[in-house]
Amino acid sequence: MALLELNGIKKIYGNVRALWDVSISVGQGEWIAIMGPSGSGKTTLMNIIGCMDKPSEGSVILDGVNISKESARNLTALRRDKIGLIFQQFHLINYLTALENVMVAQYYHSLPDEAEALQALGRVGLQERARHLPSQLSGGEQQRVCIARALINYPMLILADEPTGNLDEANEKIVLSILRNLHAEGSTIIVVTHDPEVAEEAQRTIVLEHGRIAAVTENKREKAE
Amino acid sequence: MIISSLARRRSRMFVALLAVAIGATVLSGLVTIYYDIPRQMGQEFRSYGANLILMPAGDEQTLTREKTETVRAIFPAESVTGMAPYRYQAAKINEQPFMAAGTDWAEARAASPYWYVTGDWPLGAGETLIGQEVADTIRLLPGSVFTLTGTGEGGEIFSRDFTVTGVVQTGGTEEAFIFMSLADFTALMGEGQFDVVECSIRASETELAAWAAEIESTVPGVTPRLVRQVTQSEDAVLGKLQALVYLVTSVVLLLTMICVATTMMAVVTERRREIGLKKALGASNREVVNEFLGEGVLLGALGGLLGVALGFFFAQAVSMNVFNRPITFQPLLAPGTLIISMLITGLACLPPVKSAADVDPAIVLRGE
Ligand SMILES: Nc1ncnc2c1ncn2[C@@H]1O[C@H](COP(=O)(O)OP(=O)(O)OP(=O)(O)O)[C@@H](O)[C@H]1O
Ligand SMILES: [Mg+2]
Repeated sequence: MALLELNGIKKIYGNVRALWDVSISVGQGEWIAIMGPSGSGKTTLMNIIGCMDKPSEGSVILDGVNISKESARNLTALRRDKIGLIFQQFHLINYLTALENVMVAQYYHSLPDEAEALQALGRVGLQERARHLPSQLSGGEQQRVCIARALINYPMLILADEPTGNLDEANEKIVLSILRNLHAEGSTIIVVTHDPEVAEEAQRTIVLEHGRIAAVTENKREKAE
Repeated sequence: MIISSLARRRSRMFVALLAVAIGATVLSGLVTIYYDIPRQMGQEFRSYGANLILMPAGDEQTLTREKTETVRAIFPAESVTGMAPYRYQAAKINEQPFMAAGTDWAEARAASPYWYVTGDWPLGAGETLIGQEVADTIRLLPGSVFTLTGTGEGGEIFSRDFTVTGVVQTGGTEEAFIFMSLADFTALMGEGQFDVVECSIRASETELAAWAAEIESTVPGVTPRLVRQVTQSEDAVLGKLQALVYLVTSVVLLLTMICVATTMMAVVTERRREIGLKKALGASNREVVNEFLGEGVLLGALGGLLGVALGFFFAQAVSMNVFNRPITFQPLLAPGTLIISMLITGLACLPPVKSAADVDPAIVLRGE
C-alpha cells in the first residue's frame, strides 16, 4: 500500500481555487519533486500533506490514516510522529544554539537527547558548530541544521518546501547530497522546487498549474546509471 | 529551556519583571502598613491619653489624692495605664504669661506615652519640663535656667528659679505649659485640690461607661467624664485608611496586569513564527500554553519575591517616618504576596497565551 494517497483534493480560499482535484500516490521510499509557477498551490499542497491544514474536499490517507477526518489535536500528533519539515527560510529559533534547535524537535516528540542530537548534526557535517547560534552560521549551515532537526525523530515522510531556494550553488550541492543519502537510506521525500536540477534528482516530477496537476514525468536517470 | 529562553531575551522581560516587582512591593508594603496601623494607632490614640477624666464636683476641695486612690480601686489593677493628676495656675516668665502645671511625673508619663520629650524627664526638685511653645517663646533649651514669678492661691507673691530638663511636644495645648512636680507646685502655690485627673484605662467603651457610672454613684465630689471622640475618630480614620489602601493597591495591581499583558502580547507577536514552528514540529496547544504560562508564572514568582523584600523595607521606612516605630513582619504576607503576584501575572498572561495558542502552524511554510 502507498505511504501517502491523495484523492480528489480541493482547497478553496474564498473564491481562490488553490488546489483543484489533485490525486497523487506516493510509495514508501519514493522521492517526488513538485514544480509549478508561483501561486500554483505547491505550498498549499505541502501544508495539507504535512497535517497543518485540511483540504476543503477529498481525502488524504497517510500511513493508513485518513487525516482529512482527524481533529486538530490528532493532526498535531501525526505531524510530530510522521513528518519531518525543511523550510526555505530555515526557521531556526535565533536565541537557541544549533544543538538546542535540534533538541527542540526531540523535546516535543519525546525527550531531548543531546548525544543523539549531536549525531544528527554530524550527519549534516555540523558537529563542530553545535554550540553556535543561528546568527553565527551561514545560510547553508542553517539549512543543514534545519535538515538535522527534520531528521531527528526518524520521520516516515520528509517534506521540503524550496530547501535550496535561499542557497548558493555550492550549498545547494551539499543539501542535495544530504537528501540523496537520506533517499538511499530509504526515506520518503517530497521536494517543492523551482530548480530543474533539484527536480532531476527525484524519481518523479509533478507539475502544478492553477491548482491542477498539469504533468507528471518519471525520471529514469537513476535506472540508466 | 524556559530559563535559557528567558535569559536570552532579557530586556523585554526585565520591564515586565520590574512591573511585577513594583506591584508586589506596593501590595506587600501597603498591606504590612495596613495591618500594622491599627496596632500603631491603638497605641497612638490610647496615648491621646485620657479616655476618662476626673473633675471636682462644684468648688469644694473634693478631688484629692485620697479620692483618686478610691477611684483607682474601682478599676481592675491591670487596666490602669496611668492616672495623672494635674493642678494648674497662671504664672509668668519675664512678664510673659504661661500656665504652670503640677503633676506626678511617673503617672503623667504612663498616661501620655505619646509625649515626645527632647532632653530628659525631670527627677528632682526645681526641675521642669516645658512645652515646645514656651521653649520657642523664651528661647529655652534643656539645661537652661529661668525664673518663674506669680501669685499663689493664698495671694502670696513668689519668684523661683527652675532648671529645664526637657522640652515636650504633644501636638496639643500642653505645649504652652510649664510642668513641675506636685511638691514644687504646692510649695509655690500652697495646698489645693487637683483640677483634673487624666486617666488612661485599657477597656472597651461599655466597660468604661459602667465604671464611670460606678464612680459617679459611689465617690461623692468627683465627676467622671468619658472622652469619646477618640475612639470614634479612631474608627473613622481607620475606615478611610482601609479604603485608601484597597484603592491604591487595586490600581497598582491593575497597572501591573496591563503592563504584563502588553509585554507578553508583544512577546507573543514577536514570536509568532517561533510558535508556528514549534507547532509544526509537533508542539500541542497545551505545550505552547504551558510554556507561556510557565514564563508568566516564573515572572510572577521572581517579581513577587523581589516585592516581598522591597515591600518590607518600604513599609519599614514609612512606619519609621510616620509612627517612629518599626513594623512587625507579617509571616503570612510573604507567601501571600508570592501567590497573588503569580495569580496576577498568570491572569494577565491569559489573553496573550490565547493568541499564542491560536497561531496557525501553516504560517511557517507560507514564510510570513
Ligand atoms: N491563507 C490563504 N488565504 C487565501 N488565499 C491563500 C491562502 N494561502 C494561499 N492562498 C492562495 O492560494 C494560491 C496558492 O498559494 P501557494 O502558496 O500554495 O502557492 P505556491 O505554489 O506555493 O507559490 P510560491 O511558488 O510563490 O510559493 C495563491 O493564489 C494564494 O494566494
Ligand atoms: Mg510556496
